Parts: sequence; structure tokens; C-alpha cells
Amino acid sequence: MGAINNNPTHSDYAIEVQNLKVGYGSNVLMSDLNFTVNNGEIFVILGGSGCGKSSLLKNLFGLYQPLSGDVLIEGHNITAAQGAEREKIMTSFGVMYQQGALFGSMNLLENVTLFMQEHTELNQDQMELLARCKLDLVGLLPYESYMPSEISGGMQKRAAIARAMALDPKILFLDEPSAGLDPITSADLDRTIMDLSKNLGITFVIVSHELASIYAIADKVIMLDKDAKGIIAEGDPKVLRDTSADPRVHQFFNRIMSKDVA
Amino acid sequence: MSISDPISSVESPVALWSQTDTANAKIALRGKVNVYSLGGVWTQIRNAQDAWLKQGPSSGQSLILDASQVSSFDGAGIAFLIGVEEAQHKVGGKFEVVGLDARYQTLLHEFDPISNLFPIPVEKPKRGFTVSTGMATQNLIDDARGLITFTGHLCSDLAWSIRHIKQVRWGDFVNAAVEAGIVALPIIGLVAFLIGVILSFQAAIGMKQFGAESYVGPLAALGIVREMGPLITAILLAGRSSAAFAAEIGTMTVNSEVDALITGGLSPIRFLVVPRVLAGILVMPILTLFADIVSIIASMFTMLAYGIPFINFYNGMLAVVDVEDIASGLIKATLFGVVVSAIGCLRGMQTGTGAAAVGISATRAVVSSIVMIVLVDGIFAFISYKTGF
Repeated sequence: MGAINNNPTHSDYAIEVQNLKVGYGSNVLMSDLNFTVNNGEIFVILGGSGCGKSSLLKNLFGLYQPLSGDVLIEGHNITAAQGAEREKIMTSFGVMYQQGALFGSMNLLENVTLFMQEHTELNQDQMELLARCKLDLVGLLPYESYMPSEISGGMQKRAAIARAMALDPKILFLDEPSAGLDPITSADLDRTIMDLSKNLGITFVIVSHELASIYAIADKVIMLDKDAKGIIAEGDPKVLRDTSADPRVHQFFNRIMSKDVA
Repeated sequence: MSISDPISSVESPVALWSQTDTANAKIALRGKVNVYSLGGVWTQIRNAQDAWLKQGPSSGQSLILDASQVSSFDGAGIAFLIGVEEAQHKVGGKFEVVGLDARYQTLLHEFDPISNLFPIPVEKPKRGFTVSTGMATQNLIDDARGLITFTGHLCSDLAWSIRHIKQVRWGDFVNAAVEAGIVALPIIGLVAFLIGVILSFQAAIGMKQFGAESYVGPLAALGIVREMGPLITAILLAGRSSAAFAAEIGTMTVNSEVDALITGGLSPIRFLVVPRVLAGILVMPILTLFADIVSIIASMFTMLAYGIPFINFYNGMLAVVDVEDIASGLIKATLFGVVVSAIGCLRGMQTGTGAAAVGISATRAVVSSIVMIVLVDGIFAFISYKTGF
């Protein structure tokens, strides 16, 4: 498998998932996953709570090792990569975790500059200017010297997005970015995501439940299901909403209560 | 390779500085402009710009940035443009970007006005000696007040638990007792054994000069039972369990679990602290007794090396060590148990926010526990000296 997967010409896609099996030990959450994410696309992973969306995301960016199968990031197989190669792949994308995961002992500006200090040769002033730009994009410029514990949960999430963008990665993984944000901030965030995708060609892989936001930004969605242990729908969210014959997909996109279906 | 390679991309500079005269200069950008390729180049360009700005007339110097040769651009490139532009504006110079792709210009306009990105640094006001002293005193008073309030709550909740014996969380009590007691046996045995050997060995060296080796056993046994046994057990419990209680309750505080208990109508002290303090009360005397026995056996073996048979050691010990001495040690141990477990829980409940706060709480728990052990030991020594117990 290594011979094909490490071929640099194989990077037509930002992410390519081949026969992925996700789970913990004997507990298989989903299997036979095959999908691709195009460069510059806003790709959204959907599904009910507990179907393994966050687990899938952690397998995609190499934090967890899949039970079997491969994930190719820009043509590089992250599941097989080791040591320095793995580290290099890791710096090519940014991740925002569900709870923000900001470093509690540093203020927002330091949180954003940390990865730059380790990976670039910019000086302190340059890194701070760059970090301020990122914080400005998520609307947190006035809070640069606040500690994570001094700001609200929604602000922590936005700061985490700024940190994920620190090294200007080509791919950003966001785990529920708009959950817990007010409608205005959420709309601002959607616009920022679309701007970055359109103007800088950044690929976004987003786990989200917010239907309004999904319709606004997603180029393509995949929908996971707990019982099917795999993908039950794939494509444009609006098309799926209007045309899908699958009752589970129809129910999800039209917010129908479970007892009304049963 | 599509993944940006920090090494290969810095081979040729992505930005070149050229100046025609003191009033006109140009920066040419080319290739992949990103956070890696700008390293070093950024500083060079800015230095050249500053030097040029100093040479020229006081205002009206014109800088043109040519971005027509750029193959890819990202947020770092935009920040670079903003940095150069701000330096120009500060001295009243002109700045113009030519050849920049329209989509990057849209991003550039996101940051208008750019002066927001350059805040004026504010110096933190320094605290004078008087203010610092006052604040330190206030902290000390707050800490003492917290301790007293907590002691009051704990006493009332302990009294409650005696009256409502069935409502105590015995499951938590058993877990805490196993974790603080049975699991601690090996380390306490090890340290107690070492103390027994060292105490009698050191004493024997001195006593041998007077031919009084036979008195070492009784003396060591008395010291162990009254003082060393309770003390080393309490210090080990402070290091193991007090810190563990503080970290556990501290993490619960950080995760708002303690708040959830309060809003759910449960007293966190009754729910979290009482089972742990009861566990401390139970295990401390037992662990101390265990430490006493191991230490005395270690001492017996050491004295055997000095030619004192077991039976002589035993008889000598019986003549000196009373049941009262053992009881005194065990009562003291019980008090240590209360203090150590309660301090651990108190520090846990006082935890601030964030991961670092849990570490601070665990450290404070161990330090405060040891201070309190010394304090209780001193008070106890005074009482037993006065009463002869």
C-alpha cells in the first residue's frame, strides 16, 4: 500500500480516505469508509450525537490510529507515516478541538504565537502581528491579552480557530465551530470560513450540527449513522434536504422529531 | 510536493528590496509567500525600509510593492504587507500595492483600519512595597478565614454524618480508604523499615562507646512508637493522598462538578470531604501501627548485628514502652489523618480555573499538610509533656 500512497502525484485531493475502519478495540464505530475531499472545499461531517463524528475526525488528522484503512493528506499517508515525516504532515493542517483546548497558562496572543515560535524563523514582533491578524479574523483582537479562563466558551472556540490558523495551513479541521455561538458571531464565522476558502484556497473539514450554517457554507457533506456504521448520504446539503428518499436523512435535514417518524 | 517545505522554500528570497533614490523604492515579491519563506526575509526588508526612510525627506517617500510574480500567498503574506504599510504610514510615506490578485485584496481589506493591529503597549503599574505587603496580609487573612470556615463546616457535617450514618457515601469512603490505606502499605513498609534500621544503627554507634548497646532497642522502640511512626506515616499520606484528594476535587472544581453538586442541593463537604476525612481517620492509625511494627522489627535485626538477641531487645522494650505510649502515638496519628485528608480536600475546593490550578492545589495541599502536621505534633508534644500522657 505504501508504494501507491506515497506517490506525490496522488494529491489531486486534499484528503483521501480509503477503506477506513474507525473504533476503539473491539468496538467498531464505522467501517468501509471511502470518500475524498477536494482542494479548497468546505466539507462537513454530519450525524446524530454519538455516531462517531469526532472520532472520525481524530482518525483523519492522525491523532488516533484507525483499526484499518488509510488516510491520505495531500497524498501523504498519515496512518503509515512515522517520526519527522509525520510531524511535517501534522504542520500542514490546523485543528480546532471541540472544547477549544487553549493552553490555560498563556494569553490568547501567546496561544496563537506558540506554534510559530517552534516552526518558523519570524521574530517576536512579526509573529505578534501575524497572530493579531488571526485574532482579528475571528473578532477577538481586543482580547489578545486575556487568559482563556477570562473569556466565554464561544470566544475560546474562536480563539482556538485563530490558533489553528497560526501557520496558515492548507487544511483546517474544525470540531463543532459554531456550537454555542450567538447567531451573529456564528454568521460572522461562516463568512470568515467562506472567505478563507475562496480567497486562500483553504480546505475545511468541519463537524457540525448547525443546519443553517451547513446550508450556508458546505460544498459537500457526508452523513454518518450509528446503526448503519457508515456513510448514509453524501453530496450537497440542500439537494439532500429536498430530494433524499432515505427517511433518516430526510428527518435530520428537516428537524423532524423521532416520535413523528416512528 | 504540495506540503510546504520550510527548507526548500527559503532557498531563494521571496522578497527583494530595490531603491531608485531616497524618495522612491520598490519591493518585489515572487514565488510562494508563506509563513516559512518569510522567515528572515521579513526582517531584512523591514530593516532596509527603515534605513531608507531615515535617509529621505521627512514625508512623501513612495514605496511600491509589486506582487505580480507571486505564485501563492497566505495570511502571513498579508501580515507582511500590513507590517510594511504601517511603517510607511507612521512617517507619512506613501504605499502602493500593484499586481496583487483580487482575491488577496479582499482579505487585505478585512483588516482595515490596520492601525488596530498595532496597539500602543501599556506598561503594567508597579506595586509598591506597602501595597504588596497589604495584599500578602490580606491573602493570609483570607486563607485563615477559609480554613476556619471550612473547619466549622467539616465539624458540623461530621456531626451530621454520625446522626445520619446511613446517608454517608460509604462507597466513596471505601474507595478512598483502599487508595489511601492498602495501596500505601508497600511504600510505608519500605520507609518504616529504613527508619528502623537507620535509627538503631546510628544510636548503636554512639552507645557502643559506653557499652550501652542493650539500651538502643528500648530507646528506638519508644521513639518509633511515640514519634517516628505517626510522623513518617502522616508525611507519606500527605504526599500520596492529600495531593490526590486535592487533584481529584480540584479537577471536579475546574469542570464545574462541584457547582453542579451545590445547585443540585448537595453539600460538597458532606458529599466529597466527609467520606475522605473518615477514610483518613480510619487508615492513619492502622498504617501507623503497621509502620511501628515494621520499624521495630527492622531495629531488632539491626541490633542482632550488634550481638543483642531478639529476646533481650523484646524484654528491654517491654520495660520501657507502655500501652499508653502506643495509644498516644495512635491518637496523634488519628489527628494527623484528619488534618492531612481535610487539608487535601480544602485545597481541592479552593482550586481556581485551568489545568495549572490543579497542580498548584496539589502542591499547596502537600505543603499545608506538612505544616499542619508539624503544628499538631508540637501542640500534642506540649500537652503530653504537661499531662504526662
